[in-house]
Amino acid sequence: MDELETMTQTLARVKPGEPGGDPDGAGARALLAEITAYQPAERTTRRWRPRPRFALGLALAVTAAAAAVVVPSVLDDSGTYTSASWAVTKQADGVVWVRVTDFKDATGLSSRLKDLGVPAIVDLVPEGSQCKEPRAQHVEDVPKGLYHAPQNIPGVDRGWQMRVNTKLFRPGETFVWTITPLSGGGSSTSTILMKDPVAPCELVPDDRAEKLIEEFARSRSATGKGGLLEGYPAEGKPLEEVRKELDRRGLDSAFTVLPGGRGENLVVVDARQDSREGDRFVELLVKTAP
Amino acid sequence: MTEERPARFEAVYRQTYGQITAYAVRRCAVPQDAADVVAETFAIAWRKVDSLPDGEQALLWLYGVARKVLANHHRTDNRRRARTVELDAELTDLYAAAPESGIEVEAVARVFATLPDDDREVLALVAWEGLDREEVAAVLGLTRNAVRVRLHRARKRFARALAEAGVRTDRLVSTEGTL
Repeated sequence: MDELETMTQTLARVKPGEPGGDPDGAGARALLAEITAYQPAERTTRRWRPRPRFALGLALAVTAAAAAVVVPSVLDDSGTYTSASWAVTKQADGVVWVRVTDFKDATGLSSRLKDLGVPAIVDLVPEGSQCKEPRAQHVEDVPKGLYHAPQNIPGVDRGWQMRVNTKLFRPGETFVWTITPLSGGGSSTSTILMKDPVAPCELVPDDRAEKLIEEFARSRSATGKGGLLEGYPAEGKPLEEVRKELDRRGLDSAFTVLPGGRGENLVVVDARQDSREGDRFVELLVKTAP
Repeated sequence: MTEERPARFEAVYRQTYGQITAYAVRRCAVPQDAADVVAETFAIAWRKVDSLPDGEQALLWLYGVARKVLANHHRTDNRRRARTVELDAELTDLYAAAPESGIEVEAVARVFATLPDDDREVLALVAWEGLDREEVAAVLGLTRNAVRVRLHRARKRFARALAEAGVRTDRLVSTEGTL
């Protein structure tokens, strides 16, 4: 330590060695809840969300789920409506917990949610299809705390759960869920708050993969001349291998998985750079491969 | 392991929150900017939770992210952030406790503000965050040698600017030679 350093230290608003905020404080807790209400981007289909990334209007989750055995619906002792497909529990404070473990009984889930004060439409959309867009105007200013995006169920290796605070619903708005069981054993679920009226789901071929490919193609190629990955043909290589190269070059990255693929391994389809994320940032488009 | 992510992220968040907020507050003129930087830094960390390193490295990694967020702050002003009212209020409190004052400190602050961004950052990471050369290298994505050179030059420029501003520099100038 010398005088120059000591002088610099006197300029620090928060004294060196001292912490700024308290992780147990209200600010820290609110921020943590806000951030983790969404699925992290990697290994989910981040690109399906519109920018800005943290728009509350839309949350998408891809969760792993194995096929479930179908058993009849029952009303159990705790007042929880259950079927093989789902369970919906309402607490006295208006909070509804929804657990979906299989994705066949969308109609039953939809009507049970309505009974419990959740204005929701649930559509089952087969893989390779999507509901024709737009179905309705999306709500941009979603009430804070209305819901948390689908999360995995602790201790259960399939399905997802989410928490909805029914007291925060405003008239004229409907929760629109679309669930797509994936042939690989998982499911893709989107939960979007829309303004009434919401058009019924008209199934059309799923062109989201093509749109993603087009969207990527509009950014600058990372592997082309002068790109961050110049001289490294990333296309067709396994994701893990490409990420090692990114690490070696000190580059940040995120990746988006193309819907509709089959298999366990992720292979890079395209590598682009986007200066909005920083000068050293590469976005990868990947697909699953056998 | 998808189920482990929230728990892992929360552990890193709790462990580094004090230091990341301090980092932002030390570098932003107003609490709202600091809150933006903190919120955006942790939001990026959550997006990239799979590449978030463990242990001590997590803090250095987050400093690196915070630095980029700070640099891009003006460019991304139109982005909606996860910032909350509670966070703004909490950071505002930190601004209430003024740093040391006095004629000399104010003069030093003025000189410090005129230094190039890269100089300020390397000096601050050492003096404010208390990082050693290797840690600074990890944050800035440079080699240790590059950090040594950059720090040496930054200190030289800082000492010279202080001398020009009339801040007593007798001892400062001599420290230059010992680097």
